[in-house]
Amino acid sequence: MAQPGEAIYFDGQSNRKRQVEIRFGGALEIVENGQLAEAWPYGDVRRVDSAPGVLRLMCVTTPGLARLEIRDAALQQVIEAHCRALDVAPTRSQTLKVVVYSAAALASFVGLLVYGIPLLADRLAPLLPLSFERRLGDAVDRNVQFIFRDRRCEPTAAGNAALQRLADQLRQASDLAIPFELRVLGTRVENAFALPGGKVYVAHGLLQKAKNPDEVAGVIAHEFGHLQHRDVLRSLIKDGSTGFLLGLLFGDVFGGGAMIAVTRSLLTNSYSRDAERDADRFSVETMHRLGRSPKAMGELLQRIEEPIAGQIPTILLSHPLTKERLATMTQADRPVSGPELLSPTEWAALQNICR
Amino acid sequence: VDQVVTPEQTFPVTPAGPAPIIFQNQRPQFRRMVLRGALLELITIGFYRFWLATNIRRHIWHSTSVEGDALEYTGTGKELLFGALLALAIFLPVYVVYFLIGIEAERMQAFASVPFGLFFYLFAQFAIFRARRYRMTRTVWRGVRFWMTGSGWDYAWRSALLMVLVILTLGLFLPWREAILERFKMRHSHYGDLQGRFEATGWEFFKKGIWIWLAIPGVMIAVSVVVAILAVVVWGTGSTDAGRMAGALAPVIFWLSAPFFYAAFKAVQWRWWVSGIRFGDVSFACTIRAKDLMGLYWKVIGWLLLILLLLGAALAAVAVVGALSANGGTFEQRLMFASQQWSVLLPMIVCYVFAALMATAVMRIYLVHDVVERIAETSFVYNLTAAEDVTARGAAVNAVGEGLADSLEIFGF
Repeated sequence: MAQPGEAIYFDGQSNRKRQVEIRFGGALEIVENGQLAEAWPYGDVRRVDSAPGVLRLMCVTTPGLARLEIRDAALQQVIEAHCRALDVAPTRSQTLKVVVYSAAALASFVGLLVYGIPLLADRLAPLLPLSFERRLGDAVDRNVQFIFRDRRCEPTAAGNAALQRLADQLRQASDLAIPFELRVLGTRVENAFALPGGKVYVAHGLLQKAKNPDEVAGVIAHEFGHLQHRDVLRSLIKDGSTGFLLGLLFGDVFGGGAMIAVTRSLLTNSYSRDAERDADRFSVETMHRLGRSPKAMGELLQRIEEPIAGQIPTILLSHPLTKERLATMTQADRPVSGPELLSPTEWAALQNICR
Repeated sequence: VDQVVTPEQTFPVTPAGPAPIIFQNQRPQFRRMVLRGALLELITIGFYRFWLATNIRRHIWHSTSVEGDALEYTGTGKELLFGALLALAIFLPVYVVYFLIGIEAERMQAFASVPFGLFFYLFAQFAIFRARRYRMTRTVWRGVRFWMTGSGWDYAWRSALLMVLVILTLGLFLPWREAILERFKMRHSHYGDLQGRFEATGWEFFKKGIWIWLAIPGVMIAVSVVVAILAVVVWGTGSTDAGRMAGALAPVIFWLSAPFFYAAFKAVQWRWWVSGIRFGDVSFACTIRAKDLMGLYWKVIGWLLLILLLLGAALAAVAVVGALSANGGTFEQRLMFASQQWSVLLPMIVCYVFAALMATAVMRIYLVHDVVERIAETSFVYNLTAAEDVTARGAAVNAVGEGLADSLEIFGF
């Protein structure tokens, strides 16, 4: 039997330092002034953190925070030989467990991001009432109005009439089921966008850049496509839940914000490419029904894309005109069979709609 | 043969007067742990952070000892993970409600939802208090735990209101805010049956720190003016140009002097804070100087600049390789095309994450380990005999607060 040795004992009830003797009997015996104070079964003794050179022990079956401290190196070795479960869970296997579970979590996250969330958005968007979407749109509209508060467009009566005539023809041809409101923004930025709930904005700059009504009609029909497919609502659901998932994943350990922004824009880009393709198809079909050229929109976008020195057109950032899109529109081109959408006077009025 | 162990060997002789706080420097082990932890964080997409935070605390705690008895940290990574998951369950409905209220507010008035962000400040303060409570109850010395009571919301609204006063007074109110919050935290802190309190006053902090508040604009203005005068007198620059030069110089001087002033401020703050702590009749003192901290800050700045430089070079290299392998168009167009491809973005993200992890590791080494070491080494405990026969009280609390704060704060009471 091993020789007894000296140790310091804290009983967990008070912080009094008790000078004790360790004896190696049937269990690890803690003896104070010749009296047995405590007996710890060898299998229940665990090592806990301590200053270097000090072996600090606890017993898992003893309630409270009782601790035993051994400073003598020889005695430490004897204890290590007796207590086989001193380090019951080696940190390395624990770390491996964390790594494996994390890999599983990553797989499930990727699955959710790539398949789950788009599916959720596609299924959920049609179920949400239009009134909710309109409320959302109103909120966004407030911000649009604020941002462009110095660039309001007071439409002329003739210009407005031309715009409405164009919109009515497009609506009839496309069977757009969602009530819409078409407005012109008095900015030189060449852009057009749809808000959730039916508001469509066309920038004055785009109207001026266009060479004929077909080009503008194609763009408006494209935005109608976004309305019909409720794309903004879908992308909102996607953006919101993707952001939330990514935030959850990375916590803030990487200074998360930037990380999340990059990944999110990447994901939404790939989402929106599909949405753009669908909206293009919608535009092409509408123009076919009107007997007008679906290629016109592509030509307008191409003209806008021609790089202006040192300036990236804003439309490109959200609607990159890929070669693929242009090819689709060119392929779908048919000889013109329908009447002009606007008369030359109406077209002139539309181009100068802002007073 | 029985080894003779004299009481003197096992009980370090208590010197008459204050007992020093000893920090056993095991920096190489700490550095290895933090770097290895950073890699594991990368592999485990961040989940390892709970275990790394735990390991860092365990290391710091058991390196710190008073009268030969080291502190012990009894928290676990699993606790932090579950705390974070629970926090998420609490946070999800709050997030949804915040989103819906935000929409309604925006409908009435553009950007009306901005004030709701303030709610999250309140929430963060709540989390900070609860996280401190968790860390305290996981701290054990001589077999008796520290523990805490008090309501997180009581702390949160105090903290937020006092912050408003600090902003309104351009920071002059800061000492009193700190004093009030420390008094709140410390009177709810306990070691066994010893109750804590905080006895340093805002006025003391103000007197020690006001020179820094005055010196920052003072140095900026003085150096700019001297340079402007020199420019006019020595080089014969026009007074308008000299004025413009002085204006451009001021922010440069601010950033160059910031580490000095920050070190001075932190030294004042630490000395004041440590000197205010009481547990029963036990009191503390700290003699840390600004120069003890300044070197650490400059080292962190140096490392971060280096990491930033390397990151910039890596990102540029990836972008150029991506653009060169794309075909058609001008270089700018190809660059733009490349910037939308996964094959280019993914390496960029990995570079970015890796750099961020290295930066975090640097900060953990210098701003956590080394700062704690400097403070412990300059701190003393008075009247330790008053903590000689303390009865255990209090119980461990859950880690939800830590989860809400996402174990951001490694150390700090």
